[in-house]
Amino acid sequence: MTPRWKFWLIGGLVTAVLAAAIYFPILRRRVKRAARLQQQSEEQARRELTQPIVVNPGDPRVKTKLFWASDTIDSTLVPVTVELPLSNDPVLRSKQVLNTLLAGPVDAELRTLPPDALLLAFYLLPDGTAIADFSEALATSIPSGIVSEQLAMNSITRTLEANVPQVRRLKILIHGQEVETLAGHLDLTGTFVVNTGSPQSPAADKTPAPAPGPLTPEKAPGKLAQPERKP
Amino acid sequence: MASPFGAQAPQGGLNIVVMDPAHGGTDPGARGTGGIRESEIVLDFAIQVRRALELQGFQVVETRQGNENPSFDDRSATANAQRGAVFVSLHISSTGLPGTVRVYVNSDLPPLADSNGLIPWDRAQAPFLGLSRTFGDLVQGLLVQRFKGSPETAQTASVRQLRTTAAPAIAVEISSVTVEDRADLDRMAPGVADAIARGAAAFKPAYVVPNSPGALP
Repeated sequence: MTPRWKFWLIGGLVTAVLAAAIYFPILRRRVKRAARLQQQSEEQARRELTQPIVVNPGDPRVKTKLFWASDTIDSTLVPVTVELPLSNDPVLRSKQVLNTLLAGPVDAELRTLPPDALLLAFYLLPDGTAIADFSEALATSIPSGIVSEQLAMNSITRTLEANVPQVRRLKILIHGQEVETLAGHLDLTGTFVVNTGSPQSPAADKTPAPAPGPLTPEKAPGKLAQPERKP
Repeated sequence: MASPFGAQAPQGGLNIVVMDPAHGGTDPGARGTGGIRESEIVLDFAIQVRRALELQGFQVVETRQGNENPSFDDRSATANAQRGAVFVSLHISSTGLPGTVRVYVNSDLPPLADSNGLIPWDRAQAPFLGLSRTFGDLVQGLLVQRFKGSPETAQTASVRQLRTTAAPAIAVEISSVTVEDRADLDRMAPGVADAIARGAAAFKPAYVVPNSPGALP
Protein backbone atom coordinates (compact mmCIF):
# COMPACT_ATOMS: atom_id res chain seq x y z
CA MET A 1 0.00 0.00 0.00
CA THR A 2 1.38 3.36 -1.01
CA PRO A 3 1.67 6.17 1.53
CA ARG A 4 -1.03 8.06 -0.34
CA TRP A 5 -3.51 5.20 0.08
CA LYS A 6 -2.56 4.85 3.74
CA PHE A 7 -3.27 8.55 4.21
CA TRP A 8 -6.72 8.28 2.62
CA LEU A 9 -7.55 5.11 4.56
CA ILE A 10 -6.57 6.55 7.95
CA GLY A 11 -8.30 9.81 7.08
CA GLY A 12 -11.49 7.93 6.21
CA LEU A 13 -11.39 5.93 9.43
CA VAL A 14 -10.89 9.06 11.54
CA THR A 15 -13.81 10.74 9.77
CA ALA A 16 -16.01 7.70 10.39
CA VAL A 17 -15.10 7.64 14.10
CA LEU A 18 -15.82 11.37 14.44
CA ALA A 19 -19.15 11.00 12.65
CA ALA A 20 -20.09 8.09 14.91
CA ALA A 21 -19.10 10.04 18.00
CA ILE A 22 -21.39 12.88 16.96
CA TYR A 23 -24.27 10.70 15.79
CA PHE A 24 -24.26 8.16 18.64
CA PRO A 25 -25.62 10.51 21.36
CA ILE A 26 -28.32 11.71 18.97
CA LEU A 27 -29.28 8.12 18.22
CA ARG A 28 -29.34 7.30 21.93
CA ARG A 29 -31.64 10.25 22.64
CA ARG A 30 -34.00 9.11 19.87
CA VAL A 31 -34.09 5.54 21.20
CA LYS A 32 -34.80 6.81 24.71
CA ARG A 33 -37.56 9.08 23.45
CA ALA A 34 -39.12 6.22 21.49
CA ALA A 35 -39.00 3.96 24.56
CA ARG A 36 -40.61 6.69 26.65
CA LEU A 37 -43.36 7.20 24.12
CA GLN A 38 -44.01 3.46 24.04
CA GLN A 39 -44.17 3.37 27.83
CA GLN A 40 -46.57 6.30 27.86
CA SER A 41 -48.81 4.70 25.29
CA GLU A 42 -48.90 1.45 27.29
CA GLU A 43 -49.81 3.40 30.40
CA GLN A 44 -52.40 5.33 28.40
CA ALA A 45 -53.88 2.09 27.10
CA ARG A 46 -54.02 0.67 30.62
CA ARG A 47 -55.75 3.76 31.91
CA GLU A 48 -58.25 3.71 29.06
CA LEU A 49 -59.04 0.08 29.82
CA THR A 50 -59.51 0.81 33.49
CA GLN A 51 -61.21 4.15 33.38
CA PRO A 52 -62.74 5.15 36.69
CA ILE A 53 -66.27 4.03 37.14
CA VAL A 54 -68.67 6.42 35.53
CA VAL A 55 -70.54 8.20 38.24
CA ASN A 56 -74.26 7.81 37.90
CA PRO A 57 -75.88 11.12 38.80
CA GLY A 58 -78.78 9.13 40.21
CA ASP A 59 -76.54 7.47 42.79
CA PRO A 60 -77.19 8.83 46.25
CA ARG A 61 -74.41 10.91 47.76
CA VAL A 62 -73.31 9.18 50.92
CA LYS A 63 -70.72 9.86 53.57
CA THR A 64 -67.81 7.60 52.69
CA LYS A 65 -64.98 6.70 55.04
CA LEU A 66 -61.60 6.39 53.40
CA PHE A 67 -58.57 5.25 55.37
CA TRP A 68 -55.34 7.09 54.69
CA ALA A 69 -52.20 7.58 56.76
CA SER A 70 -52.33 9.72 59.86
CA ASP A 71 -50.32 12.94 59.76
CA THR A 72 -49.79 12.89 63.51
CA ILE A 73 -49.18 9.28 64.52
CA ASP A 74 -46.50 7.39 62.63
CA SER A 75 -47.62 4.43 60.51
CA THR A 76 -51.26 4.47 61.51
CA LEU A 77 -54.47 5.03 59.58
CA VAL A 78 -57.19 7.58 60.13
CA PRO A 79 -60.63 7.68 58.54
CA VAL A 80 -61.38 10.64 56.31
CA THR A 81 -65.07 11.20 55.56
CA VAL A 82 -66.00 12.48 52.13
CA GLU A 83 -69.34 12.66 50.38
CA LEU A 84 -69.43 10.56 47.22
CA PRO A 85 -72.16 9.37 44.88
CA LEU A 86 -72.03 5.62 45.50
CA SER A 87 -73.88 2.85 43.75
CA ASN A 88 -75.97 0.41 45.73
CA ASP A 89 -74.45 -2.44 43.75
CA PRO A 90 -71.64 -3.81 45.94
CA VAL A 91 -69.24 -4.44 43.05
CA LEU A 92 -69.66 -0.97 41.56
CA ARG A 93 -69.55 0.54 45.03
CA SER A 94 -66.31 -1.31 45.84
CA LYS A 95 -64.75 -0.07 42.61
CA GLN A 96 -65.84 3.48 43.38
CA VAL A 97 -64.38 3.54 46.88
CA LEU A 98 -61.16 1.75 45.89
CA ASN A 99 -60.60 4.08 42.94
CA THR A 100 -61.10 7.04 45.26
CA LEU A 101 -58.67 5.48 47.73
CA LEU A 102 -56.13 4.98 44.92
CA ALA A 103 -56.56 8.58 43.79
CA GLY A 104 -55.20 9.51 47.20
CA PRO A 105 -55.81 12.24 49.74
CA VAL A 106 -55.22 15.94 49.17
CA ASP A 107 -51.91 15.66 50.99
CA ALA A 108 -49.94 13.21 48.86
CA GLU A 109 -47.69 12.44 51.84
CA LEU A 110 -50.61 10.65 53.47
CA ARG A 111 -51.37 8.25 50.65
CA THR A 112 -51.08 4.57 51.43
CA LEU A 113 -51.07 3.20 47.88
CA PRO A 114 -48.73 4.05 44.99
CA PRO A 115 -50.06 6.83 42.75
CA ASP A 116 -49.58 4.74 39.60
CA ALA A 117 -51.42 1.67 40.91
CA LEU A 118 -54.70 0.82 39.22
CA LEU A 119 -57.64 -1.36 40.10
CA LEU A 120 -57.96 -3.61 37.06
CA ALA A 121 -60.93 -5.69 38.14
CA PHE A 122 -63.14 -6.43 41.10
CA TYR A 123 -65.34 -9.46 41.62
CA LEU A 124 -67.64 -10.48 44.44
CA LEU A 125 -68.58 -14.11 44.99
CA PRO A 126 -71.91 -15.09 46.55
CA ASP A 127 -70.21 -16.09 49.81
CA GLY A 128 -68.89 -12.56 50.28
CA THR A 129 -65.36 -13.26 49.06
CA ALA A 130 -64.14 -10.38 46.95
CA ILE A 131 -61.26 -10.52 44.50
CA ALA A 132 -59.47 -7.28 43.73
CA ASP A 133 -57.03 -7.33 40.84
CA PHE A 134 -54.51 -4.50 40.90
CA SER A 135 -51.90 -3.46 38.37
CA GLU A 136 -48.28 -4.40 38.95
CA ALA A 137 -47.51 -0.94 40.26
CA LEU A 138 -49.20 -1.86 43.54
CA ALA A 139 -46.40 -4.34 44.17
CA THR A 140 -43.52 -2.62 42.41
CA SER A 141 -44.06 0.99 43.51
CA ILE A 142 -44.98 0.44 47.14
CA PRO A 143 -42.16 1.07 49.60
CA SER A 144 -40.82 -2.32 50.65
CA GLY A 145 -41.28 -3.13 54.33
CA ILE A 146 -43.65 -4.78 56.78
CA VAL A 147 -44.98 -1.49 58.07
CA SER A 148 -45.70 0.08 54.68
CA GLU A 149 -47.15 -3.07 53.13
CA GLN A 150 -49.40 -3.72 56.12
CA LEU A 151 -50.54 -0.09 56.11
CA ALA A 152 -51.46 -0.36 52.43
CA MET A 153 -53.45 -3.54 52.95
CA ASN A 154 -55.16 -2.19 56.05
CA SER A 155 -56.23 0.92 54.16
CA ILE A 156 -57.87 -1.25 51.49
CA THR A 157 -59.62 -3.65 53.87
CA ARG A 158 -60.77 -0.99 56.31
CA THR A 159 -62.11 1.20 53.51
CA LEU A 160 -64.09 -1.73 52.11
CA GLU A 161 -65.26 -2.69 55.58
CA ALA A 162 -66.57 0.82 56.25
CA ASN A 163 -68.41 1.18 52.97
CA VAL A 164 -69.32 -2.20 51.50
CA PRO A 165 -70.78 -4.50 54.14
CA GLN A 166 -71.32 -7.29 51.60
CA VAL A 167 -67.55 -7.86 51.34
CA ARG A 168 -66.53 -10.37 53.97
CA ARG A 169 -63.11 -11.47 52.75
CA LEU A 170 -60.69 -10.07 50.22
CA LYS A 171 -58.25 -11.79 47.92
CA ILE A 172 -55.62 -9.65 46.23
CA LEU A 173 -54.31 -10.44 42.75
CA ILE A 174 -51.54 -8.59 40.97
CA HIS A 175 -52.18 -8.26 37.24
CA GLY A 176 -54.44 -11.30 37.34
CA GLN A 177 -51.94 -13.48 39.13
CA GLU A 178 -51.70 -14.79 42.66
CA VAL A 179 -48.45 -13.65 44.24
CA GLU A 180 -46.71 -14.76 47.41
CA THR A 181 -46.11 -11.32 48.90
CA LEU A 182 -46.99 -7.72 48.18
CA ALA A 183 -43.42 -6.40 48.10
CA GLY A 184 -41.39 -9.06 49.87
CA HIS A 185 -43.12 -9.13 53.26
CA LEU A 186 -46.90 -9.11 53.41
CA ASP A 187 -48.49 -12.47 52.73
CA LEU A 188 -50.93 -12.39 49.80
CA THR A 189 -51.46 -16.13 49.42
CA GLY A 190 -54.75 -16.21 51.29
CA THR A 191 -57.70 -13.95 51.93
CA PHE A 192 -57.96 -11.04 54.33
CA VAL A 193 -60.94 -10.75 56.62
CA VAL A 194 -62.70 -7.48 55.87
CA ASN A 195 -65.73 -7.23 58.06
CA THR A 196 -64.27 -7.59 61.56
CA GLY A 197 -62.52 -4.27 61.75
CA SER A 198 -59.04 -5.68 62.01
CA PRO A 199 -57.62 -7.33 58.90
CA GLN A 200 -56.49 -10.84 59.58
CA SER A 201 -53.81 -12.97 58.14
CA PRO A 202 -54.24 -14.60 54.78
CA ALA A 203 -55.88 -17.97 55.22
CA ALA A 204 -57.61 -16.56 58.26
CA ASP A 205 -61.32 -17.04 58.00
CA LYS A 206 -64.34 -16.46 60.14
CA THR A 207 -63.10 -19.24 62.39
CA PRO A 208 -62.39 -17.80 65.81
CA ALA A 209 -58.76 -17.15 66.47
CA PRO A 210 -56.99 -19.57 68.81
CA ALA A 211 -56.58 -18.50 72.38
CA PRO A 212 -53.15 -17.31 73.43
CA GLY A 213 -50.88 -20.31 73.43
CA PRO A 214 -49.97 -22.00 76.68
CA LEU A 215 -46.41 -21.94 77.85
CA THR A 216 -46.29 -25.67 78.46
CA PRO A 217 -46.73 -28.59 76.04
CA GLU A 218 -50.34 -29.42 75.34
CA LYS A 219 -50.78 -32.79 73.77
CA ALA A 220 -48.78 -35.45 72.07
CA PRO A 221 -46.27 -33.76 69.81
CA GLY A 222 -47.18 -33.48 66.17
CA LYS A 223 -44.89 -33.48 63.18
CA LEU A 224 -44.53 -31.06 60.37
CA ALA A 225 -46.07 -31.92 57.05
CA GLN A 226 -43.86 -31.61 53.98
CA PRO A 227 -43.78 -28.15 52.47
CA GLU A 228 -45.35 -27.74 49.10
CA ARG A 229 -42.60 -26.66 46.77
CA LYS A 230 -43.38 -24.41 43.92
CA PRO A 231 -41.49 -24.96 40.70
CA MET B 1 -46.08 -36.61 55.81
CA ALA B 2 -43.44 -37.63 58.32
CA SER B 3 -41.01 -35.03 59.42
CA PRO B 4 -38.28 -34.62 56.83
CA PHE B 5 -35.98 -33.21 59.41
CA GLY B 6 -33.51 -35.02 61.50
CA ALA B 7 -31.39 -32.35 63.03
CA GLN B 8 -30.35 -32.88 66.60
CA ALA B 9 -30.54 -30.07 69.10
CA PRO B 10 -29.09 -29.76 72.53
CA GLN B 11 -31.26 -30.98 75.38
CA GLY B 12 -32.78 -28.82 78.08
CA GLY B 13 -35.02 -26.02 76.88
CA LEU B 14 -34.52 -23.05 74.65
CA ASN B 15 -30.95 -23.07 73.42
CA ILE B 16 -31.00 -21.98 69.82
CA VAL B 17 -31.88 -18.75 68.09
CA VAL B 18 -32.39 -19.01 64.35
CA MET B 19 -31.55 -15.64 62.92
CA ASP B 20 -32.88 -14.65 59.54
CA PRO B 21 -31.31 -11.67 57.79
CA ALA B 22 -34.06 -10.95 55.27
CA HIS B 23 -33.72 -10.71 51.49
CA GLY B 24 -30.30 -11.13 49.80
CA GLY B 25 -29.06 -12.26 46.40
CA THR B 26 -31.08 -10.64 43.65
CA ASP B 27 -33.52 -9.24 46.21
CA PRO B 28 -32.02 -6.16 47.88
CA GLY B 29 -35.15 -5.46 49.94
CA ALA B 30 -35.72 -1.82 50.85
CA ARG B 31 -33.39 0.67 49.16
CA GLY B 32 -32.56 4.14 50.35
CA THR B 33 -31.73 7.06 48.13
CA GLY B 34 -28.19 7.04 49.46
CA GLY B 35 -27.61 3.52 48.15
CA ILE B 36 -28.46 1.81 51.43
CA ARG B 37 -29.66 -1.74 50.85
CA GLU B 38 -31.70 -3.62 53.41
CA SER B 39 -30.15 -6.96 52.43
CA GLU B 40 -26.66 -5.70 53.27
CA ILE B 41 -27.47 -3.90 56.49
CA VAL B 42 -29.32 -6.81 58.04
CA LEU B 43 -26.22 -8.95 57.55
CA ASP B 44 -24.19 -6.40 59.53
CA PHE B 45 -26.87 -6.29 62.21
CA ALA B 46 -26.87 -10.09 62.32
CA ILE B 47 -23.18 -10.14 63.29
CA GLN B 48 -23.87 -8.00 66.34
CA VAL B 49 -27.04 -9.86 67.27
CA ARG B 50 -25.18 -13.13 67.04
CA ARG B 51 -22.45 -11.87 69.35
CA ALA B 52 -24.99 -10.64 71.91
CA LEU B 53 -26.91 -13.92 71.80
CA GLU B 54 -23.76 -15.99 72.26
CA LEU B 55 -22.91 -13.90 75.29
CA GLN B 56 -26.28 -14.95 76.69
CA GLY B 57 -25.35 -18.59 76.09
CA PHE B 58 -27.41 -19.23 72.95
CA GLN B 59 -26.34 -21.18 69.92
CA VAL B 60 -27.07 -19.15 66.79
CA VAL B 61 -28.07 -20.63 63.45
CA GLU B 62 -28.36 -18.26 60.51
CA THR B 63 -30.55 -18.70 57.46
CA ARG B 64 -27.92 -16.96 55.36
CA GLN B 65 -24.43 -15.63 56.00
CA GLY B 66 -23.64 -14.16 52.62
CA ASN B 67 -25.35 -12.51 49.70
CA GLU B 68 -27.76 -15.30 48.87
CA ASN B 69 -31.54 -15.41 49.00
CA PRO B 70 -32.99 -18.64 50.38
CA SER B 71 -36.71 -19.07 49.74
CA PHE B 72 -39.22 -18.40 52.51
CA ASP B 73 -39.70 -22.15 52.89
CA ASP B 74 -35.96 -22.82 53.05
CA ARG B 75 -35.57 -20.25 55.79
CA SER B 76 -38.46 -21.77 57.72
CA ALA B 77 -37.00 -25.24 57.16
CA THR B 78 -33.80 -24.12 58.87
CA ALA B 79 -35.83 -23.14 61.93
CA ASN B 80 -38.20 -26.08 61.82
CA ALA B 81 -35.30 -28.54 61.87
CA GLN B 82 -34.20 -27.29 65.28
CA ARG B 83 -35.49 -28.28 68.67
CA GLY B 84 -35.56 -25.67 71.36
CA ALA B 85 -35.30 -22.72 69.02
CA VAL B 86 -36.84 -19.34 68.49
CA PHE B 87 -36.81 -17.52 65.16
CA VAL B 88 -35.89 -13.87 64.60
CA SER B 89 -36.22 -12.30 61.15
CA LEU B 90 -34.30 -9.03 60.73
CA HIS B 91 -35.58 -6.24 58.46
CA ILE B 92 -34.98 -2.57 57.67
CA SER B 93 -38.06 -0.69 56.50
CA SER B 94 -38.51 1.91 53.77
CA THR B 95 -40.79 4.03 55.91
CA GLY B 96 -41.57 4.78 59.52
CA LEU B 97 -40.00 7.15 62.00
CA PRO B 98 -36.21 6.80 61.66
CA GLY B 99 -34.59 5.53 64.83
CA THR B 100 -37.53 3.37 65.89
CA VAL B 101 -37.87 -0.41 65.89
CA ARG B 102 -40.99 -2.54 65.58
CA VAL B 103 -41.42 -6.18 66.48
CA TYR B 104 -44.05 -8.15 64.57
CA VAL B 105 -45.76 -11.42 65.27
CA ASN B 106 -47.91 -13.16 62.71
CA SER B 107 -51.62 -12.41 62.48
CA ASP B 108 -54.03 -14.97 63.81
CA LEU B 109 -54.20 -18.16 61.82
CA PRO B 110 -57.07 -20.67 61.86
CA PRO B 111 -56.75 -23.49 64.37
CA LEU B 112 -55.09 -26.67 63.21
CA ALA B 113 -57.46 -28.86 61.28
CA ASP B 114 -55.28 -31.73 60.10
CA SER B 115 -56.93 -34.96 61.21
CA ASN B 116 -53.59 -36.79 61.15
CA GLY B 117 -52.21 -34.66 63.95
CA LEU B 118 -49.68 -33.14 61.58
CA ILE B 119 -49.00 -29.44 61.54
CA PRO B 120 -49.78 -28.15 58.03
CA TRP B 121 -46.67 -26.50 56.66
CA ASP B 122 -48.52 -23.44 55.46
CA ARG B 123 -49.86 -22.78 58.97
CA ALA B 124 -46.89 -23.99 60.98
CA GLN B 125 -46.89 -20.83 63.06
CA ALA B 126 -50.49 -21.29 64.27
CA PRO B 127 -49.79 -23.28 67.47
CA PHE B 128 -46.90 -20.96 68.37
CA LEU B 129 -48.74 -17.64 68.09
CA GLY B 130 -49.19 -17.21 71.83
CA LEU B 131 -45.53 -17.94 72.48
CA SER B 132 -44.49 -15.64 69.66
CA ARG B 133 -46.58 -12.87 71.20
CA THR B 134 -44.91 -13.38 74.60
CA PHE B 135 -41.45 -13.38 73.02
CA GLY B 136 -42.26 -10.39 70.82
CA ASP B 137 -43.61 -8.31 73.71
CA LEU B 138 -40.46 -9.01 75.74
CA VAL B 139 -38.17 -7.87 72.93
CA GLN B 140 -40.34 -4.86 72.04
CA GLY B 141 -40.45 -3.81 75.71
CA LEU B 142 -36.66 -3.72 75.78
CA LEU B 143 -36.43 -1.93 72.43
CA VAL B 144 -38.77 0.90 73.43
CA GLN B 145 -36.51 1.70 76.38
CA ARG B 146 -33.66 2.43 73.97
CA PHE B 147 -35.47 3.67 70.90
CA LYS B 148 -38.05 6.26 71.86
CA GLY B 149 -41.09 6.41 69.63
CA SER B 150 -41.11 2.65 69.11
CA PRO B 151 -44.31 0.80 70.05
CA GLU B 152 -44.54 -0.59 73.57
CA THR B 153 -45.82 -4.00 72.53
CA ALA B 154 -45.32 -6.23 69.51
CA GLN B 155 -47.44 -5.48 66.43
CA THR B 156 -49.45 -7.96 64.40
CA ALA B 157 -48.96 -8.38 60.66
CA SER B 158 -49.34 -11.04 58.00
CA VAL B 159 -45.63 -11.61 57.56
CA ARG B 160 -45.07 -14.35 55.00
CA GLN B 161 -41.81 -15.53 56.56
CA LEU B 162 -43.36 -16.17 59.95
CA ARG B 163 -46.36 -18.19 58.74
CA THR B 164 -44.41 -21.36 57.92
CA THR B 165 -42.15 -21.27 60.96
CA ALA B 166 -42.88 -23.87 63.64
CA ALA B 167 -41.28 -22.04 66.56
CA PRO B 168 -41.85 -18.87 68.53
CA ALA B 169 -41.12 -16.39 65.75
CA ILE B 170 -40.81 -12.62 65.44
CA ALA B 171 -39.80 -10.14 62.77
CA VAL B 172 -37.80 -7.12 63.93
CA GLU B 173 -38.02 -4.13 61.56
CA ILE B 174 -35.77 -1.13 62.01
CA SER B 175 -36.67 2.27 60.55
CA SER B 176 -35.39 3.04 58.04
CA VAL B 177 -33.30 3.05 54.86
CA THR B 178 -34.32 6.69 54.38
CA VAL B 179 -31.71 7.92 56.87
CA GLU B 180 -29.27 10.29 55.21
CA ASP B 181 -26.23 8.68 56.75
CA ARG B 182 -25.83 4.94 57.09
CA ALA B 183 -24.01 5.52 60.36
CA ASP B 184 -27.39 6.42 61.88
CA LEU B 185 -28.48 2.84 61.32
CA ASP B 186 -25.14 1.36 62.35
CA ARG B 187 -25.42 3.13 65.69
CA MET B 188 -28.68 1.31 66.37
CA ALA B 189 -27.19 -2.16 65.94
CA PRO B 190 -25.77 -2.66 69.47
CA GLY B 191 -29.08 -1.62 71.08
CA VAL B 192 -31.11 -3.85 68.79
CA ALA B 193 -28.74 -6.77 69.38
CA ASP B 194 -28.85 -6.34 73.14
CA ALA B 195 -32.67 -6.15 73.21
CA ILE B 196 -33.04 -9.31 71.14
CA ALA B 197 -30.52 -11.22 73.25
CA ARG B 198 -31.97 -10.09 76.56
CA GLY B 199 -35.49 -10.72 75.27
CA ALA B 200 -34.56 -14.28 74.29
CA ALA B 201 -32.95 -14.83 77.71
CA ALA B 202 -36.07 -13.52 79.46
CA PHE B 203 -38.26 -15.75 77.30
CA LYS B 204 -36.19 -18.88 77.97
CA PRO B 205 -37.76 -19.90 81.30
CA ALA B 206 -41.26 -19.43 79.88
CA TYR B 207 -40.78 -21.79 76.94
CA VAL B 208 -41.06 -25.51 77.56
CA VAL B 209 -39.54 -27.02 74.47
CA PRO B 210 -41.45 -29.76 72.62
CA ASN B 211 -39.92 -33.22 72.41
CA SER B 212 -39.10 -33.20 68.74
CA PRO B 213 -38.41 -30.71 65.96
CA GLY B 214 -41.58 -29.26 64.56
CA ALA B 215 -43.69 -30.59 67.40
CA LEU B 216 -46.64 -28.75 68.88
CA PRO B 217 -45.76 -26.53 71.80
